[in-house]
Amino acid sequence: MIKIENVSKVYKNGTRALDRINLEVQDEEFVYIVGSTGSGKSTLIKILDGEEVPSSGKAIVNGVDVGSLRFSKVPIYRRNVGVVFQDYRLLPRKTVFENVAYALEVVDTPKQVLRQRVREVLKLVDISDKSNAFPDELSGGQQQRVAIARAIANRPKILIADEPTGNLDPRKSDEIISLFEKINAEEHTTILIVTHDVGIVRHHPKRVIMIESGNVAADLPKGAKI
Amino acid sequence: MFRRFFHHIKEGFYGFGRHIGMALSSASAVMITLILIGLFIVLTLNLYAMTSSIEDSITLSALVKDETSLTEEELQSQIEAISGVDYVEYHTKDEEFDYYLDTYNDPDLRSFYETYRDDNPFKNAFIVYARSGEDIQTIKTALEAIDDIDEVYDGGDNTYTLVEILDNVRIAGGTLVAALCILAIYLIYNTIKITIASRSDEIWIMRNVGAKNGYVRAPFLVEGIIIGFIGAIIPMLVIVLGYIYLYSTSGGSLFGAFSLIYPYPFIFYVALTLLGIGVVVGFFGSYISVFKYLRLRR
Ligand SMILES: Nc1ncnc2c1ncn2[C@@H]1O[C@H](COP(=O)(O)OP(=O)(O)OP(=O)(O)O)[C@@H](O)[C@H]1O
Ligand SMILES: [Mg+2]
Repeated sequence: MIKIENVSKVYKNGTRALDRINLEVQDEEFVYIVGSTGSGKSTLIKILDGEEVPSSGKAIVNGVDVGSLRFSKVPIYRRNVGVVFQDYRLLPRKTVFENVAYALEVVDTPKQVLRQRVREVLKLVDISDKSNAFPDELSGGQQQRVAIARAIANRPKILIADEPTGNLDPRKSDEIISLFEKINAEEHTTILIVTHDVGIVRHHPKRVIMIESGNVAADLPKGAKI
Repeated sequence: MFRRFFHHIKEGFYGFGRHIGMALSSASAVMITLILIGLFIVLTLNLYAMTSSIEDSITLSALVKDETSLTEEELQSQIEAISGVDYVEYHTKDEEFDYYLDTYNDPDLRSFYETYRDDNPFKNAFIVYARSGEDIQTIKTALEAIDDIDEVYDGGDNTYTLVEILDNVRIAGGTLVAALCILAIYLIYNTIKITIASRSDEIWIMRNVGAKNGYVRAPFLVEGIIIGFIGAIIPMLVIVLGYIYLYSTSGGSLFGAFSLIYPYPFIFYVALTLLGIGVVVGFFGSYISVFKYLRLRR
């Protein structure tokens, strides 16, 4: 469970990105986070994956107070949180298989388990046929699938995506959101998707959290009118 | 465990290979540094060995005034109290006279001088053994300050000169070596900095999926150590083979006078020292880089 309690974030330059925000997301929920540019969505994500520390308030994820984690404990915590971005950030000199395997290698996954799991997630994101291709041989949508496979390879409890469809056309975007739904159902992963795309929110209705000026402006349950 | 160990080694070599030009130039800086350090070590240790025999016997003679208020024992303990004095021998004027006579082998001359014994021009003397050459000057001054001491003689300028040369070699060599070490560290630091920059994608992903901080850092430290290690190989060979060659062609002594330290195992210890310095320099250079440029933010 994610519990954001009165979290404020003031950056070093004085920008107040989050202003006493409160939020709760249950396990296995699927949530959109929307809001205009500069409203604090990415900042919220950075606090959730331990990259930024709240200036005040608490972010508690699966019982862990993320802000007070010691520096050396952050990596282990982060294995519970997969993050995907608008740019896919694949390693250009590694194949699809190797890119996903890399994420497991660097957390010391035994070789046998690793191969098995890579095949499994590549199948899950439906890109098995491109296993040996290099990223520049793939379309944007395919690259994003690989990035998602990499993010879930280590079985995180929570998968966060910051505008995952930002570079994709509507049809591809639709497929990617369907993929998140599948992961949500099959891997029991909590999903948080930051998006500007009203289309996908309409096509795949879920709970929508609207953020404005660093606070929750609206929290609409699944099926509510936007 | 082992897999991770080999992973870091492999990645370290990978980094080395990626910027082979940079890496090799850092390694050559290490190489030059280590060759000079090796020469310096061999030179100073040999100089030490040469001078230590001289230094061991660095003595002063303190001549005692004929009319003295102190007893021999009182005077002796006063001299022994001077710092840097190793031990003291007392020679009576008769003994001194005998020593002097002993320098003449010719019996005629001996009997000629023997006639002077009743009118002995020598004085009772303390032979003062200094602990090291560096102490001679201060001991001499201290001896001269004692009322009952008439005159003080030392071994002459030669001992001073040797001690001084040794000091200068040590200071100049030490400074040079320190400067070269810093240069080598700097070059390694730069090499690793570039490796880090070129691998920022991988670093980002590792952090993103939760690789431990040590895991992210290790390949860069390994790369630094590899550079230091590779840089040490040639200097080790040069020093070992060079010294063995010098020793065998010179027959173990230079200019027939200065004996060289026997090469086994001496020169192997020097080589191991060089390897150690290479590895430490490599580690240190990469360490600074890793902690400066691999800003592991949270
Ligand atoms: N590292 C930073 N240092 C200083 N200010 C920052 C930093 N990151 C973000 N900000 C500021 O904090 C505010 C919130 O930024 P944030 O990136 O969270 O917005 P966002 O909702 O993700 O916007 P967008 O939809 O454009 O991605 C903005 O005013 C931004 O300029
Ligand atoms: Mg953003």
